[in-house]
Amino acid sequence: MVKAVAGISFATPVTLALMTLDSDEALAAGVVPAQLHSLLNYSMITGVMITSNQTGILALGKTLSATIGKGAGDPVQLNGVIYSVSGVYLTNSWMDYSVIIPHVVAQQMIGMVNGTSMIVATAQDSRNVDNVIGQIRTLMPTFEAFRSSETPSKVSPIFASLESIASDITAIVTLGAVLGIMNSNLNNLRERMRAFAIFKATGATYNQIIKLVLYESLLLGTLGTLIGLGISYAVLQFISIPIVQNVSVAIILVPSTFLYAALLAFSVSFLASIYPALKIARVRPQEVFRFG
Amino acid sequence: MAEEPVLRTDELNKTYWSGPEKTVALDGINLEIRKGELLAVYGPSGSGKTTLLFLLGGFDKPTSGRILLDGIEISNMDEYRLSRIRRSNVGFVFQNYNLVEDLSVQENVSLTMMFEGKTEKEMKERTAELLDKVGLVGKERHRPSQLSAGEQQRVAIARALANRPRLVLMDEPTGNLDQDNSRAIMQLVTNIIRADGVTFIIATHNLEIVQETPSRLFLKAGQIATDLISHS
Repeated sequence: MVKAVAGISFATPVTLALMTLDSDEALAAGVVPAQLHSLLNYSMITGVMITSNQTGILALGKTLSATIGKGAGDPVQLNGVIYSVSGVYLTNSWMDYSVIIPHVVAQQMIGMVNGTSMIVATAQDSRNVDNVIGQIRTLMPTFEAFRSSETPSKVSPIFASLESIASDITAIVTLGAVLGIMNSNLNNLRERMRAFAIFKATGATYNQIIKLVLYESLLLGTLGTLIGLGISYAVLQFISIPIVQNVSVAIILVPSTFLYAALLAFSVSFLASIYPALKIARVRPQEVFRFG
Repeated sequence: MAEEPVLRTDELNKTYWSGPEKTVALDGINLEIRKGELLAVYGPSGSGKTTLLFLLGGFDKPTSGRILLDGIEISNMDEYRLSRIRRSNVGFVFQNYNLVEDLSVQENVSLTMMFEGKTEKEMKERTAELLDKVGLVGKERHRPSQLSAGEQQRVAIARALANRPRLVLMDEPTGNLDQDNSRAIMQLVTNIIRADGVTFIIATHNLEIVQETPSRLFLKAGQIATDLISHS
């Protein structure tokens, strides 16, 4: 049915379920082996990927493999049944913390023989994704359709909570930063009121004073952003998020994260300097010189 | 034909209101000052000397009356045009010098030229010329706090002259100086008038300066108490 939606070039069922791997919890992905290459960009570290619907065979993500200390050829227990590890794969994504089993096996394990928990689809044109999602929602109103980037938060309540908490913290911190920096800017400029009065007395226009304050603020903002990004990068190397028992996902930093963080920091620094700049530009030199 | 006066005021009035209370700071001031003239404005504290200088310098607007600078009325100009007047047409030397502490002598003198949009080269050359004129060669990189009161006043004079104004206003220029420094500053002013034909108006309490000044104006309670006396 999903394949029938205009604009979809590929669709495959995927069943995600939390299972017990040896004594730990792990996220198991049931996939159609023949469609794995179209579904996932991966490389094998050791052994081979599962290639058929054979039961008793599974592949481990690199990080999960390291966590439970098992590799290619080792026996593992999945929901109490003995399996053999065919190989260890690497995706550089949250999938490295999961285990891959055949889709039909996953269906049997979770008691959903003719069903699936998810269908992964690819749009022919990446600019058309939102349109395709809209069509699927219209066609199958009881299904939830979302982008692949939203998958972690859709399948894991921890991720969903973390995303929600992170968004709230970002909003609060941004507002706090704008107000805090604005207050600091105002105090700083008030202390230098005499200097700005001298600038105006010697012929600086209203606009020139505003430009001076904004340039200074952006310069300090740039310096602060660079230092902040450096510290964040260093600290985030040591932080990981637990997704299931004994399994934590390290924060993967990509260039766009730094770009967004830098843009946010510049915006905060710019916003926080507008009001102080407008206020100080209205200074009347004769009043400052006569009354302080 | 007589030369156009550098500055002229017609029935200049300035009134301040504090709630219902009215304070007349200046009342019907008529002035006419020509190129290269030195005018001393004197009078007791609160007589309106500083108010007059702030009006003539384009810092404030009169309640009524007109101020004509080089024949152009500045009393009804907006803030933007007044900024340009303060930058290009009038130099101002304040009682407390008002130098920016974080800037060097060279940077303080360059301020008005920077706001005028002069190039680095132009600013450097003009600053060197001015510091030579006021006798501060070698102190370009000093901060104001590293200078004596007399030297700070010289920096303030150099800054006031930076954009070659035709009129320089000085508010109590010797108020914080000893007698020797006061005389040196007045000698410097005299030299600048002779060399460049700049017009100076000096508000002062210093009677020695008043007596040695060819033109003087006595202000009392915002009014001219003695007519402008010209010795030329």
